[in-house]
Amino acid sequence: MSETPAVQVSSLVKDFRGSFGRGMIRAVDDVSLQIAPGEVYGLIGPNGSGKSTTMKALLGLVTPTSGTCAIFGRDSSKVDSRQEVGFLPENPYFYKHLNGEETIRFYGKLCGMRGRSLRERTEELLELVDLQDARKRRLGAYSKGMLQRIGLAQALVQDPRLLILDEPTAGVDPIGSRQIRDLIFNLKERGFTVFLCSHLLEQVQEVCDRVGIIHKGTLVKEGRLEELISIEDQTEIILRNATPDLLHRIHELADQEEGVDLVRSGNPRTTLERLFLRETVQRDAKADPGSGTGQGSPADGGPDGCNNDTEEDSP
Amino acid sequence: MSRHPHSTPLFSFSRIWIIAGNTFTHLMRMKVFYFLLVFVLIWLGLNVFKLPHTAGPESVGGEELRLLKAPLVGTMKLFAIIIGIVATALLIPRDVEDRTLYTILAKPVPRLDYLLGKLFGVLLLILAGLTVMTLLLDAVLWYRTQGILSEFDKVAGILIEQQQWTVEDRQEARAELLSHGVTWGLQGAILVIFFEAAIIAALALLVSTFSTSTLFTVVISTLSYFIGNFIADGLDHWQGSSGIDEGSLGDLSTRALFVAFPDFRPFKIVDEVLAGQIFPPDVLGSLALSTGLYVGLYVVLSWFIFTYKEI
Repeated sequence: MSETPAVQVSSLVKDFRGSFGRGMIRAVDDVSLQIAPGEVYGLIGPNGSGKSTTMKALLGLVTPTSGTCAIFGRDSSKVDSRQEVGFLPENPYFYKHLNGEETIRFYGKLCGMRGRSLRERTEELLELVDLQDARKRRLGAYSKGMLQRIGLAQALVQDPRLLILDEPTAGVDPIGSRQIRDLIFNLKERGFTVFLCSHLLEQVQEVCDRVGIIHKGTLVKEGRLEELISIEDQTEIILRNATPDLLHRIHELADQEEGVDLVRSGNPRTTLERLFLRETVQRDAKADPGSGTGQGSPADGGPDGCNNDTEEDSP
Repeated sequence: MSRHPHSTPLFSFSRIWIIAGNTFTHLMRMKVFYFLLVFVLIWLGLNVFKLPHTAGPESVGGEELRLLKAPLVGTMKLFAIIIGIVATALLIPRDVEDRTLYTILAKPVPRLDYLLGKLFGVLLLILAGLTVMTLLLDAVLWYRTQGILSEFDKVAGILIEQQQWTVEDRQEARAELLSHGVTWGLQGAILVIFFEAAIIAALALLVSTFSTSTLFTVVISTLSYFIGNFIADGLDHWQGSSGIDEGSLGDLSTRALFVAFPDFRPFKIVDEVLAGQIFPPDVLGSLALSTGLYVGLYVVLSWFIFTYKEI
């Protein structure tokens, strides 16, 4: 028996009326996609390509012109489907008059949670997003990164099986961005299904199992990440402590083989993000080993094993 | 298998109460109760400066009480109407703009619950504000009435001694004086102000479901309030002078107008009560019914529009 997909979008079309009655604008054009339970799916595309509209249709915030959306088999136009889903919109601003703890409790109550279970869940989530110290602070005084994390906490409050994240790291500094990325890893390990939409392609590459590329409302490419990004006719070998003589011999061997081209050799490069994190967080950690920088910080390596092909390791 | 097999009810009092409570806290923390300070300042002003009056000596006490309560009740009405329009007009567009609405409606929250929660939050705030102001008004009015009554009793005693007044005259004048003090009619009149605010808040809610700006909602709701209050009198006059028959096209158009724009003519009973008239209890019942119908109609229309609103 096949498992019910976490997300099922079938032939989704969404037209918006142009301003001053200037015809219809097609935001999403015949998009179909399916996300299996436990999968992390990334939808990428330029601004105005239809990513957010697809997500809104899935959440029942906009009505499809045609096609259907379902969450764990439930029609997403029905309120019931939202019992299984948590959503973090792009640049969310929650009620500034509430503090962090009150915000989680408010959303928990909306989901029917009460009493001890809500109190325990609130504690659990504040710890998960590393905001215990800021629990009594009004959201008006939260930084962008903290707002994103409290947003993630509210999205998770009713323990949904599916998490929809629209640009979760938009406007967040690299440290905050890494913390959110690590949270996504954490959720993935715990079996959550994540539907992620981001401009930060490197981040999508790090966390997603499958990726869809949407352009002008159409899903132009979709598949498993390693299949999409691997260059079939090239092979990469990374050596540590290779001598110039060894490299010379490898070059000679490649030249002797017919039809083989040595495309590139040299030192692999780290990313600017890793360099930034090493120079800020790791430096702080070395200076003050007692101070924690929150879970999943790059100082402790973090769960970034999926992109270690260019990782620079210290001896 | 789903871990959440239960279905979400269309309407949940507890969820509405949570949204209403949050809306109330939101507005409270926006410091709207500074309006109460204005109310207190007006009251202090009325006590410091003696207002001029032209009534004769026998009605001086009643006139003084009327001049005291009329501006205070007027301020209460202003508070209720302004909060009813502005707070309601502000809430939904702000939630859309801040994307807070996305996070709420992405939870299992029916749109009707959200609308009712917002409306009830505003009404709760108005009710709380009016209650505080009523307690203050009643206290001030009772204190002033006692002072005036003791003066009145002295003067009335002299007038009876001089045989200018009979005992019956004194009782009649005393009853007249007390009708301007703390009465059930006055409490009823303040309840009517709340009814009026509830209608205008529900209308503002309706406008905000299709409006694209807070200013538009405020302008349309304020205009509707004025139409409901003043145009109605003009139409009355027009109907009277044109001799329009009941059930005719003119009559039906006028009735239709009062669906779009609430008819506030019966609510003017507040002015009559302030002038010392008795508040008939059956009128309160019919005004409560009328309020329920208007609020119900506007909420249903708001729900219909908001259900299909692209957020």
